[in-house]
Amino acid sequence: MRTEAIDPPGISWQRVSPKYVTVRLVQWAIGNLVTVIVLTLPLVFVLLGWWRWPPLGLAITVPAVTLVLAIWRLVLIPRQVRAIGYAERDDDLLVRGGIFFQRTMAVPYGRMQYVDIGVGPVERGLGLCTLKLHTASPGTNATIPGLPAAEGARLREQLAARGEARLAGL
Amino acid sequence: MTANVPEAGAPSAVPVAPDGEWLRVHPASPFVRGWVALAAIGFFFGRDIFERSLQGRPIFGEDFAGRAPWLVAGGGIVLVVTVVGFILTWYFTKYQVSEGYVRVNSGFLFRQQRQARLDRVQAIDIVQPLLARIFGLAELKFEVADAGESAVKLAYLRMDDARQLRATILARAAGVVPDPARPQEAAPEAPEYPVLSVPPSRLIGSLLLSEQSFFVVVGGIASVILSVVTENRGFFFYLIPAVLGLAASYWGSFNKGYNFTAAISPDGIRLRYGLLDTQAQTLPPGRIQALKVAQSPLWRIFGWYRIQVNVAGYGAAGSNGETASRTTLLPVGKLPDVMSMLALVLPDPGTPEPGKIIAAGLSGLNSDGGFVTTPRRGRFLAPLGWRRNGFAATGTALLIRSGRWWRELVVVPHQRTQSMALHQGPLARRFGVADVVLHTTAGPVSPRLTQAGLDEARALFDAQSARARLARKRQTSEQWLAQVAPVVEPVDTPAPQQTLQQEGPQRG
Repeated sequence: MRTEAIDPPGISWQRVSPKYVTVRLVQWAIGNLVTVIVLTLPLVFVLLGWWRWPPLGLAITVPAVTLVLAIWRLVLIPRQVRAIGYAERDDDLLVRGGIFFQRTMAVPYGRMQYVDIGVGPVERGLGLCTLKLHTASPGTNATIPGLPAAEGARLREQLAARGEARLAGL
Repeated sequence: MTANVPEAGAPSAVPVAPDGEWLRVHPASPFVRGWVALAAIGFFFGRDIFERSLQGRPIFGEDFAGRAPWLVAGGGIVLVVTVVGFILTWYFTKYQVSEGYVRVNSGFLFRQQRQARLDRVQAIDIVQPLLARIFGLAELKFEVADAGESAVKLAYLRMDDARQLRATILARAAGVVPDPARPQEAAPEAPEYPVLSVPPSRLIGSLLLSEQSFFVVVGGIASVILSVVTENRGFFFYLIPAVLGLAASYWGSFNKGYNFTAAISPDGIRLRYGLLDTQAQTLPPGRIQALKVAQSPLWRIFGWYRIQVNVAGYGAAGSNGETASRTTLLPVGKLPDVMSMLALVLPDPGTPEPGKIIAAGLSGLNSDGGFVTTPRRGRFLAPLGWRRNGFAATGTALLIRSGRWWRELVVVPHQRTQSMALHQGPLARRFGVADVVLHTTAGPVSPRLTQAGLDEARALFDAQSARARLARKRQTSEQWLAQVAPVVEPVDTPAPQQTLQQEGPQRG
């Protein structure tokens, strides 16, 4: 995996499962296709002559721009999934993500309050799960999506054990 | 030794300590809390009589004789049900402090039993709304790290009882073991030493010089110009609601901030304030997660600062002003006041000359006081602030300063850092800078170092992880008398072995 400028040096990142692209594709389809179809309806009505407003130009521009943006997001999905990575260090878990807006987060084991594993319907079909770490801070938004179920369970146990050993007060 | 080491999970085999007596709140408290309901009943039945007597009509109408029994019966039933409800609520609300826990049972239809660990106390507040104050009653709020509702809320106790209970809870939380020979003897209240107070004149001045006042003046001028241009006199009538709202807002700030005093005691920082409703907060040592000193351009005229803090139990400032005032450590103060409050929060600044570095953090530019600022190449991203945005690390805390006009200095103790992140957007990547975000508990302070040089940001990210790790290892217990480096010398030491307790449970 490529290391970005803001990543600490010498980290070997674990990548999430490539199958997670499918999950993102389904999410993308639900979100974007529905929007584009709804926005195309005025165009259809205008073409059929049912509606006088909006003008044809506007009726074409709005869904077209939305469609271009949606396709742009679609193209980015595989790269975004490849950009998600995590690494277990001695005292903290590193989580990174993002291509344009990159983020690298360090969550100390001793600060973890609890660890969530969530499985959505699509993820269940692909044997994936999403792991979420919680500290006392609402700003800790550390989510590792697209983990294979076995790896998710292993990571959860590992994090729980390490957190137990290093638990600190608030 | 057993009384203050509650093993989580293990059922307590220790016999109930003699101090574990179940107590009730003051019998008048449901009436003080529910006076609105009583007033509503009174209003409903009294209005008619009042109106009739005002109009000079006979108080009882001609058809009254037929309705009177029903009216009296209905009113009586409502009143009796309300009062019985009050009495039942009071009867079933009990509290107890023992074995390292405080427990509260409440409710008679839906029973609720709640217990909170004493050594997890984040803050204790004693609140006196006006009506309770008239009756000499007070509400006690015990906060744990929940960021939502208070863990334990006891309304109302007699003021002396509330203070006594607070002293007991704080003594137990600090790790003081009750003397078995004299179990009934209550824990003495820790002595306190006043640190500073805010004179009312300064409070009024700070309100007049707030951003809100600035916008009021701008809005007033704009509406005068508008009414002159449009020649519409009626325009001002639309401003009346706005003026009322503003007056209420100013009154709220004045009422909350009046007579603000801060004091230090071995139990922690004590804050007191309020004109009609008074509040007394106690923040035990080491419970402040992050701190922000801010100065707006208007306040610079008089050199005033405001300090806000994150405390785990208080949560984020919501729409109500209560949280906002609870998270204010100093509503308005001068530089010496800021220095003394910082000295209370950070007794060990971790640097030989704290005054210099804090002064540099409050008003300095460039590398004053050892601050590392945005590199010159990043000046296009922050044309005003690039010489000020920066950080400095002492042995115990990280200082982040920002803002050329709206000056801010954020202080995060190393052992309070929860997690950290580096952020970099496309523009920041182009200029070779990155943001460092420290995550703390919910509150008004959100520490973020903006536009640090990439190498400096990465170095800080690593160094700060190491410092936070070291600080966590050093902090072994939440019972502050048992911490390795006691913040203040304990004044009341009934048993010598209590300070020998090195580690709390569950901390390996």
